[in-house]
Amino acid sequence: MPMQVRELTAPAAVFALIVTVVLIGALVIPFVSGGTSPEVTNLAAEQTNTDSVQITPNTEEGNIAVDGPGPGESKTVLIDKAHSNRLSDEKLSTLTNALVKSGHTVQILSREQARGPAWNESLRSADAVVIANPTQPYKSGQLAGLEKFADAGGRVTLLADPAAISVGGGGLLGLSIQESSAQYTGLASSFGFAAQSGYLYNMHEYQNNFKSIYATTPAESRNPLSQGIDRVVLREAVAISTASAEPALNTVDRTVREPTRREATYTVAATSGNVAIVGDTDFMMPTNVYVADNEVLLGNLATFLVSGNKRPGAPATPDSNGAQNAGTSTGGAIPTAPTAPTAPRPGDGPSPSPVPESIIAPSE
Amino acid sequence: MSRNNDSSAGSTNTFYIVAVAAAVVVSAVLAPVAYDYAQSAQSEGTVSVITVSGVITGSKVDTLSEDLREARINDSIKSVVLKVDSGGGAVAPSERLYLEVLRTAKEIPVVASVQGVSASGAYYGILPANETFMLSSGQVGSVGVIGAGGTAPVPDRIIRTGPDKAQPTTEQRRQQVESLKRQFVNRVVEHRGENITLSREEIANAKTYLGPRAAENGLIDQLGTLSVAIDHAAEMAGMEDYDIARKEPPRGGLIFFATTVDGQKMIYKQQTSNDAMAIPVTQPLAINELPYHDPGMGVDANASA
Repeated sequence: MPMQVRELTAPAAVFALIVTVVLIGALVIPFVSGGTSPEVTNLAAEQTNTDSVQITPNTEEGNIAVDGPGPGESKTVLIDKAHSNRLSDEKLSTLTNALVKSGHTVQILSREQARGPAWNESLRSADAVVIANPTQPYKSGQLAGLEKFADAGGRVTLLADPAAISVGGGGLLGLSIQESSAQYTGLASSFGFAAQSGYLYNMHEYQNNFKSIYATTPAESRNPLSQGIDRVVLREAVAISTASAEPALNTVDRTVREPTRREATYTVAATSGNVAIVGDTDFMMPTNVYVADNEVLLGNLATFLVSGNKRPGAPATPDSNGAQNAGTSTGGAIPTAPTAPTAPRPGDGPSPSPVPESIIAPSE
Repeated sequence: MSRNNDSSAGSTNTFYIVAVAAAVVVSAVLAPVAYDYAQSAQSEGTVSVITVSGVITGSKVDTLSEDLREARINDSIKSVVLKVDSGGGAVAPSERLYLEVLRTAKEIPVVASVQGVSASGAYYGILPANETFMLSSGQVGSVGVIGAGGTAPVPDRIIRTGPDKAQPTTEQRRQQVESLKRQFVNRVVEHRGENITLSREEIANAKTYLGPRAAENGLIDQLGTLSVAIDHAAEMAGMEDYDIARKEPPRGGLIFFATTVDGQKMIYKQQTSNDAMAIPVTQPLAINELPYHDPGMGVDANASA
């Protein structure tokens, strides 16, 4: 037995020696050759130009001032909600507050108040009317009443947004697509305006987003809407075409209209007599209304609404043949649009003055 | 005697046959090893081909970062080729990928080879590459950020500690997205340098370009296939003979559905992959296309965030 142990001692020693040498080598080599951790440079900080990516917060200051007629003189402003108008209560609240605060009355026009002769009755009791993004057509009788209203000194303000596709309840498969601009054509064109399709943007000068464009007042503008404005921010604006109206706000250089992508100076707000049109409603949002000079624009718009001098009793009671019943085959003051999409027949109505692009109004 | 001679000659023959057969088997096993050894002895190094495909997510960039780190540490890897086919993904992972590629490109040559699409976040990621190749049918660009603007009001039964907690305003989102866009455009301008003929505004229009146009306007360097890119990467590392090591992303898991039809077992397999899922726009994304965008989805998901 001792013989065998002695025979095994030498190999065991060799084994232990080899293991020891290898382990010591493994321990020592990293110390000699240095660690494997590479040098780490702070690339994220190096590669960031903090100044150029920092966004300066918008300054929001100023007050919405309504310079109305003398004290005690209260005007009634009608807000059309009868044509499924797309104007959120939030946006409306800023205008309503400004008007009410300066002693005026605001009435929301429901669908019942716009039906048949009730439309003209509603207009008769009002001094001004606000129409934003209607999604239902105006009947020819309603248009005629509105024109008479403006002719008699009533103030009309049209607000337009880009024709947006709104997804809401109802309709086929829960989707209904509403285009507002088509409904606008008849309305706005009867006052000499047309809202162009698509939205405006500017890739060069904008407020934090290419669709948030700047608009400034034309040089030496005497337009009531442009008073006191340096520049406003419109979050999603449409261009307004007009032949005779006076521009109140024009876009800054290099503004582009989406479908055509042409750079031009686009008019986004204008007035023509007693009618004003603004190609944006987002400036009325409580979150946007104090940005840039938006509060001045809202104040100017409110002032415009309450500074008309409407003849009492206009629009007059309709003729006995029922001009207000739009959709019927004959009209009173103007030819009504045919119920079917056919060309207007000149001999259809007794009126000599055709409306420039009356719309096709399906009878309710 | 003669019988003895006969039997000993027979067994000698048998030994020969066994020896020859054994030799053939052994050398058949060893020959490829020897061949590989000889070949890699000639090889001057390895080009690591790293695949970047599908939606760029945090976990995908974890894997890619590991692959790129290995390429930097392993002395035998002399250059990297990024084989890209992705329409982008989330902004932060895209920036991480960008920084990892940049770190690698500062040490060894990095060549990008666009297979199909390298848009938005995926284009962000390959910006630091020393050379970019693509096919004429591929697309690059879409330099921009997309994110939900509005937020649904947090219900009253939820208690928050401040007005901006879990409910950024539209304006805050707008500013964030604008800041991210500026960063992205800055880096495109920085890395494409004088090659690029587009203005900052044209870049920020976020158009995607096909290969020939992208080679012309400087969003990429030249048209070329993956093998050209690999060869170029080897050349940049000064290698004539080189090995190629491919790093493929982990495959999506397979789900097996088993059913018995007429006594026979049928197995259906369905590949599950992150890439097919629609991503809600609850956070800013650097992505080229949204497969399905429900305008309400981002808002709802955000309210619970």
